[in-house]
Amino acid sequence: MKENIVIIGGGIAGMEAASRLLDLGYKPIIIEKSGRLGGHVAEWNRLFPDMTPASDVVNALTARSSEANIFLNTEISFVNKLKDSYNIMLSNGISIITKIILVTTGFSLFDAAKKEEYGYGIYDQVITNKDLEHWFNTGDDARVSNCGMNAVGFVHCVGSRDEKARNSQCSKVCCITAVKQAIELKQKFPDAMVYCFYMDLRMFGKKYEDFYISAQRDYGVRFIRGRVSEVSENIDGRVIVKAEDTLSGKPVKVTLDLLVLMAGMVCNPDSTRVANMASLPVDSDGFLKSRDNIADIIDSPKDGVFYAGACTGPKTVPETLAEARAAALRIHLYIKGME
Amino acid sequence: MRERFLTGYNDFVLPFVCGMLFVLIYCLVGMIRIIMQLPAQDRKRFFISLVTPKTMAKNIKDIFLKCLIHVDLWKRNKLLGYMHSSIAFGWFMLILVGHIEVLLYTSNLGAKALYYPIFFRYFVAETESTMKGSLIFFLMDFFLLIVLSGIALAMIKRIRSRIFGMRRTTNPSFLDLVGLYSLWAIFPLRLLAESFTADISGGSFLTKSLNYVFTEFLSNHANMLPAWWAYSCALGVFFFVLPFSRYMHIPTEILLIPLRNAGIRIVNARKGLAKAQVYSCPGCGLCIDACPMGVLKGNIKDTTVYLNRQIRRNNEARIEEISDKCLLCGKCTAVCPVGVEGDRLRIAQRSVRKYNFGPDYSNIDSLKEAENCNKFVINSNNIVSSSDNEKVLYFAGCMTALTPVIREKTVSILEKAGIEYEFMDKDGGLCCGRPMLMAGRLEQAAQLVEKNTEIIMNSGADTLLLSCPICYRIFRENYSLPGIEVIHHTEYFERLVFSGRIRVSKGNTKYVFHDPCELGRGCGVYEQPRNVISAAGELVEAARNRKESICCGGSLGSLTLGFDKRKAMTENALANLTAASPDRIVTACPLCMSTFGRYSDRPVEDIAQVLDRCSVPGRL
Repeated sequence: MKENIVIIGGGIAGMEAASRLLDLGYKPIIIEKSGRLGGHVAEWNRLFPDMTPASDVVNALTARSSEANIFLNTEISFVNKLKDSYNIMLSNGISIITKIILVTTGFSLFDAAKKEEYGYGIYDQVITNKDLEHWFNTGDDARVSNCGMNAVGFVHCVGSRDEKARNSQCSKVCCITAVKQAIELKQKFPDAMVYCFYMDLRMFGKKYEDFYISAQRDYGVRFIRGRVSEVSENIDGRVIVKAEDTLSGKPVKVTLDLLVLMAGMVCNPDSTRVANMASLPVDSDGFLKSRDNIADIIDSPKDGVFYAGACTGPKTVPETLAEARAAALRIHLYIKGME
Repeated sequence: MRERFLTGYNDFVLPFVCGMLFVLIYCLVGMIRIIMQLPAQDRKRFFISLVTPKTMAKNIKDIFLKCLIHVDLWKRNKLLGYMHSSIAFGWFMLILVGHIEVLLYTSNLGAKALYYPIFFRYFVAETESTMKGSLIFFLMDFFLLIVLSGIALAMIKRIRSRIFGMRRTTNPSFLDLVGLYSLWAIFPLRLLAESFTADISGGSFLTKSLNYVFTEFLSNHANMLPAWWAYSCALGVFFFVLPFSRYMHIPTEILLIPLRNAGIRIVNARKGLAKAQVYSCPGCGLCIDACPMGVLKGNIKDTTVYLNRQIRRNNEARIEEISDKCLLCGKCTAVCPVGVEGDRLRIAQRSVRKYNFGPDYSNIDSLKEAENCNKFVINSNNIVSSSDNEKVLYFAGCMTALTPVIREKTVSILEKAGIEYEFMDKDGGLCCGRPMLMAGRLEQAAQLVEKNTEIIMNSGADTLLLSCPICYRIFRENYSLPGIEVIHHTEYFERLVFSGRIRVSKGNTKYVFHDPCELGRGCGVYEQPRNVISAAGELVEAARNRKESICCGGSLGSLTLGFDKRKAMTENALANLTAASPDRIVTACPLCMSTFGRYSDRPVEDIAQVLDRCSVPGRL
């Protein structure tokens, strides 16, 4: 079968779709702008709720999709619409004519420095969820002291469900990620106090609720319902967090050694760029717009262009993988329909 | 001149005389009521100012320049200025010269004094000796021409206001229209009436020539009386609707100017000075274009001119809506040609609202709070003075706490300059009270002012440094801190730069400075931040700046404006700022900074960030 299939983005969605298309006998092309596959998941340490190492997932996918044509360090220069196909010009000079495009451009992490009141980039002891995972992976971060952590705080919903940050959507995964990271820190520093400042806890997935109960019961993580109002730094470099405990109706003030901001998912500017080049519509939340948000979430309004993963909105890893498989099948049927 | 009629009376004067007496009595009663409504202290102050030579001279000057010449409008737009001053000054001169004429040529005036100056030409006939009055004839015609040209411009303005520099004008009410049309009618009718009698009572280039040109019609004395009746009726109608239309501003402004010069502030939401301001509103609509909410069409009816109208109508629901929506940026106050204070008027409306409960700050232990910032003091009477250096107490305020970069950079600059400083609210502090004041909750604001005053007076500092203009304004206007200089960081930085405490290296970055409402219009600080920025880089100006700077849309002032509505205002303000394509936008208010930062396509910084980046310690 010589039909070209172009997959834009080599994250887990792109790799999963490629491996399924390989199983079906196609030879998809993956275009990845960075120097490696795996996207955001490759930067993560362990995945909730079973603490699966993220590298296991990424390695398995990389192995299964290795037969595909993979262009690393490659961006899309432009997309031309031909009569019944697309001409995609790559930054390495190769041009591809294809009737089928699968967009798996994923999301971007919200820039936590935009919520200046939390002091990211200003205070040394304020990091993001991604920085913490990086520290879990490498143990290399000057901001996280390796020894003697007395108190750690997590701020939920940083840049999510926040009109003032221009993101009204829920990022879905941060609640459970915070629970996971709180447990991991508690495992590393059993004597540390760990606080989670949340406005809602959305424990919707399989075993999430158990995970959350365990964090409270087995690890003693303190969940405080209320948003953080401001963060400041004291003389010895520790951060002072002021918040309101809305359940007791009292203001709280804690001094912490580390404050972790749960930066949310926002639309990837590269998705928007691809959408502009291929005249794909963008939804009010900035993510790509599906033909239908219930029945055709993986179909774009254009023939031959499909979506999988977080380019259409925040998603968990299993949801992304399921969509990638569905997209592979959808592409298979689409090609059958063309013949 | 000799009188034509023995009685010196004709029925046609009645509409005018009744109208004029009505207006005079109405204004007299209104003036007495407003003065009586003033708080006793203010009233005393007002009377004293009336007999103080300095304010007396200022009153006369202001009334002449503002009410007659309309200098503020001239500065805004020449055509608009000419239109207003031609009508006001021209009409005033007609009345003045008319009176002189009457005094020169008649004796035994009596009751005739009421209408003779207006209808003089009907009642007299020219004699040989009259040639001496040809100057007066000329002046009368000349000023009539001036007024007529103003009326012609007014008619054009109703159709094409853009020529006069106004994008939008006020939608007149019914009585405004009656007043408007009668005002337009007065002067052409006067010309017509005087042209009829020009061959009897004399006239000059306008009336006499008209009489010659249309001699068939105008020399027929049978047509004379209807014209004089029409003229008198137009005047009568105008005077009768005047108190109920926007033209009430003409007499009220004459009262407002001395009240303002006496230094009186709005106390009661509807009485006294507030009432004088509301009735002084000429409904010109300059505030409509000025209002930052105007980018959304739906907000046009929430501008100050409509607030004044609704207050006059006692439409409580709308008064509340308009007062609560406003951002209190003060731009309408800045552009208002008569000096209606739209922001203070709204705060006063908010202050009359009844709340079932409110926060009570009276039990805050200010001595305990003071402990955090009294590092200059060992015990209550012993001030630690390591040197003669000034001791700066830095009050960052809650808005700066949400933008910690400003606090960090300000402290860095203070360190570079070797200033002895202490934080007032590093670990939490009290609110300055301005947000409560803006919300009209004056009692709560006063409690906070009192507590903060105690803390500051006990700190041993001699300078209070602020980085938030919202705090700065209330500290300047409502606090009394004897012996302590209150200063905004823009002013303080300028002092540090020009006294050589820090050295600034000039880069070639292009900056534009956004004047925050509370700092610029609120406190009159325009030059200092510009001087600092000019020392650090190239300064370009926004399309509208200084007094006319556009509110960022993030103001605390509005109680009801939603987040989505503010976006359009912020984008409009950004477009104004980036007109000269600067590299960076600089402001001096933490709230402006975070509001602009949300939508700006280029970096938005506080002045402290710019100065910290470009400066090194200077010679001490």
